[in-house]
Amino acid sequence: MPNAYGLTTFHLMKILTKNKFQTWEKVKNLSSPKIIKQVIKSELTGKGGANFSTGRKWELSYPVKYLICNADESEPGTFKDRFILQNNPELLIEGINIAIKALKAEKTYIYLREEYKSLKPKFNKIIKKHSQYDIEVIIGAGAYICGEEMAQINSLEGYRAESRHKPPYPAQRGLFSEKTCVNNVETFARLPLIWQDDFDPKLMLFAVSGDVENPGIYEAVQGIRLADLLKEAQPVDPKAIFFGASGGCLPYDDNLVLTHENIRNKEAMLGAGGIIILNQKRSIVDICRSIIQFFVDENCGKCLPCREGNFRLLQLFQVYLKRKWTVEEFDLIQELIPFVTQGSQCALGQSSTLHLETAIKHFKKEFTDHVENNS
Amino acid sequence: MQITIDNKKIKVGADWTILKAAQKAKIKIPTLCYHPDLKPSGRCGICVVEVNPSTGSGEPGKIMTSCNNLVREGMIVKTKSPKVLQQRKTNIQLVGCNFEKEEEFRKWLKLENLPDVKELRFKPKPSRKPDISSPAITIDFEKCILCGRCIQKCRDTQSVNAICFSERANAIKLDTSLGLDLDQTTCVQCGQCSVVCPTGAIKEHEHIDEVKAVLKDKTKHIVVQTAPSVRVAIGEEFGMPIGSLVTGKMVTALNKLGFDMVFDTNFGADLTIMEEANELLYRIKNKKPMPMFTSCCPAWVNFMEIFYPKYLKHLSSAKSPHQMFGAIVKSYYANKYKIKAEDIIVVSIMPCTAKKYEIQRDGMACDGCQDVDYVLTTRGLAKLLKEKNIDLKELKNSEFDMPLGLGSGGGAIFGTSGGVMESAIRTAHYVLTSKEIKNIEYKDVRNSSGIKKTTLKVAGQKLNLGIVHGLANARKLMEEIKSGKADYDFVEVMACPGGCIGGGGQPQPTTKEIVKKRASAIYQQDRKLKYRQAHNNPQIQQLYQEFLGKPLSKKSHHLLHTKYKKRSTCRR
Repeated sequence: MPNAYGLTTFHLMKILTKNKFQTWEKVKNLSSPKIIKQVIKSELTGKGGANFSTGRKWELSYPVKYLICNADESEPGTFKDRFILQNNPELLIEGINIAIKALKAEKTYIYLREEYKSLKPKFNKIIKKHSQYDIEVIIGAGAYICGEEMAQINSLEGYRAESRHKPPYPAQRGLFSEKTCVNNVETFARLPLIWQDDFDPKLMLFAVSGDVENPGIYEAVQGIRLADLLKEAQPVDPKAIFFGASGGCLPYDDNLVLTHENIRNKEAMLGAGGIIILNQKRSIVDICRSIIQFFVDENCGKCLPCREGNFRLLQLFQVYLKRKWTVEEFDLIQELIPFVTQGSQCALGQSSTLHLETAIKHFKKEFTDHVENNS
Repeated sequence: MQITIDNKKIKVGADWTILKAAQKAKIKIPTLCYHPDLKPSGRCGICVVEVNPSTGSGEPGKIMTSCNNLVREGMIVKTKSPKVLQQRKTNIQLVGCNFEKEEEFRKWLKLENLPDVKELRFKPKPSRKPDISSPAITIDFEKCILCGRCIQKCRDTQSVNAICFSERANAIKLDTSLGLDLDQTTCVQCGQCSVVCPTGAIKEHEHIDEVKAVLKDKTKHIVVQTAPSVRVAIGEEFGMPIGSLVTGKMVTALNKLGFDMVFDTNFGADLTIMEEANELLYRIKNKKPMPMFTSCCPAWVNFMEIFYPKYLKHLSSAKSPHQMFGAIVKSYYANKYKIKAEDIIVVSIMPCTAKKYEIQRDGMACDGCQDVDYVLTTRGLAKLLKEKNIDLKELKNSEFDMPLGLGSGGGAIFGTSGGVMESAIRTAHYVLTSKEIKNIEYKDVRNSSGIKKTTLKVAGQKLNLGIVHGLANARKLMEEIKSGKADYDFVEVMACPGGCIGGGGQPQPTTKEIVKKRASAIYQQDRKLKYRQAHNNPQIQQLYQEFLGKPLSKKSHHLLHTKYKKRSTCRR
């Protein structure tokens, strides 16, 4: 039976119950290159959404001055980091210890989402007890964009959370213009597991929500069929699946294979594993409207195409509540989608219209029903 | 490294941006938020190009901003592909929604060299009240297109942080710090924001109408003076080459506008040097607070009053050249020509916005008469001339009026960073040794890249000199002095990069390259002048003989010196 988190698998139980700081006792005597080599060999990939090899990223970054743990989880429908932060913060700190040792970081920041700030004292206690390194918990300034690594770096420096242009990448010139490595909470938490015999790099956490009987956190290997993942969550009359707000959507399909590559081939993004199920009664157009509203509120305001483009999209989506779109208006919607995607410089802007692009592709009729004289 | 732009093969440096490569190859990419002196931000997205466009096989071309993306070996760039044009068009249309009137927007597009767009599809956004609280700078928020250039200037070049972005996402807005009225912030009125603003959202209080009204008043005697930096820049406003020296034409233009007397602020600069050089020597002799800072830059004085009030004793008490000039006009000149001081109006043409603040400071008036009544910037004068259909370029040369129209080379070089120092050296050397300095062009003090330190040996003394421009550099210097790491005797500080020739009231565009050309015009002028040291200016000698006595005399102090006081900011 799933618990409150929809916990099912053996490995997830391990995340919860693993013997604390045992791996660290082994790893702390290894040299940096040895640890990095081991991480590369393990094929662990970043769990923040990019799915890039953690070991390779470290190899490119080594050595760094700053290490940042991105705990600013704020993608709608994603709450897997909170699960780790609440239930096994020791594992996170153990992973951070390993990363510091591997990357020779002088200072580490845990950028904790403002909504999770009650966890800070607990963290400080664990750090004091189990880490000889300089680790500081910083409470985020409360914006979605702070989860984007370059904006997070700006925020840590005390500037506006605006995305910075890449390159230079954090590994070249990051926090306070020094070499920096940014990793996600789950990535850190999985590090200590590498030294266990049954480590599986394909395992990841899925946050399942929406029209399901049992929303929660589920752990599964990448490549699982959607129906298998949702066996215990029990979707109700499903129509569509949204991968968070920024990952786009696909029609619900029992046989959808959940790998990053497969979802990307279908022009959506698996991202950080946020799965939102929508039932047949939901209006896709209305869901899109609320996602647009989200991006209108949460972009950083820097690039004109993202800021103004999303705002104009929202204006258009407020129109349809009152009357049907004209053909010109619907054309403009479709014109603004690539305009925003192409013109934005950070991952937020570039993916802020993906939901709309994929929704129109897969549920076109729902949209054209709202267009005048379109029979 | 080689790349291809619009089918043209171009050799490029590895650290070049796509935009730089295109500019070198003379391929025009429209830009808006890009400014050569600032870090490219990519905010406006107008400079987009298509990179590696689809050749039928692989990935489709990628749209990217050319100002901040670097070239890569073998890159193929299209600047006019349909995809690029479409992206840019929508972008410009969205910029257009910041303008209330369509004609205004189209006029602006032309001015900025941006491609026109047929239809405007987006409605304007609601506007905000302008900020007119500051005596020098106005902000019309409605015109702001959020390019962020002003903020970069204020924060990075000047370290003043009076303006910033506030709110986020769609609510993002240009704002003053803490949302205060501009005159309550740390704004020093240097006007660097206004020189880089592409839409005129930030500009100076023009005072053109006031000056026009005064010019019609026949009961007044109207005197105009022009700063050394105006004559090397105003030609640019009339399509003349950068670095054109147009003193004679400018004088003719001012005569045409109807000023009764056209005088030269260079005369005032000579007077400042006489007072300031002597003050320096007095301070050394009498062990007064050292180092001494120059005080002719009003934005720098503001900066000290706001950020470093403990060091106000170190500022020279000498007024700035145009203030001294105004005081002399309303005393010496008024007496000599039997005109009542209150009937004289002094208008200063300045490369500066802070001068508009300076004229209404306490202590900038003598016997109830404000030294200077109005300040027009270089841009302001050009605008006035254009309104009156006076084309500067076509005018003949005229000479300044006498007796206050004669300036030395020492006064002329005030306009560029290092100039006040060089002029002071020329005169201080003479005062100390009774001999002229051999290398009259004391080049050690020129071409400061921000902070320059040099040592002058004169009459057995060693003087450590500092030449600083840009207020962020000034802040660095002040922090050094504060921590006791620096041992300067005399420091020249100019708030604007490059000195007054790069001032906040100068024509747009003003860039490092343009400032260099203006500087060389200034030095060229110095070389041509008959008198090159302030103390050799016969009119100055006459003024001291007939009126002031000697430098730092009681009369001098009364008319030509001032006081400073700590200013509290950020109050509601």
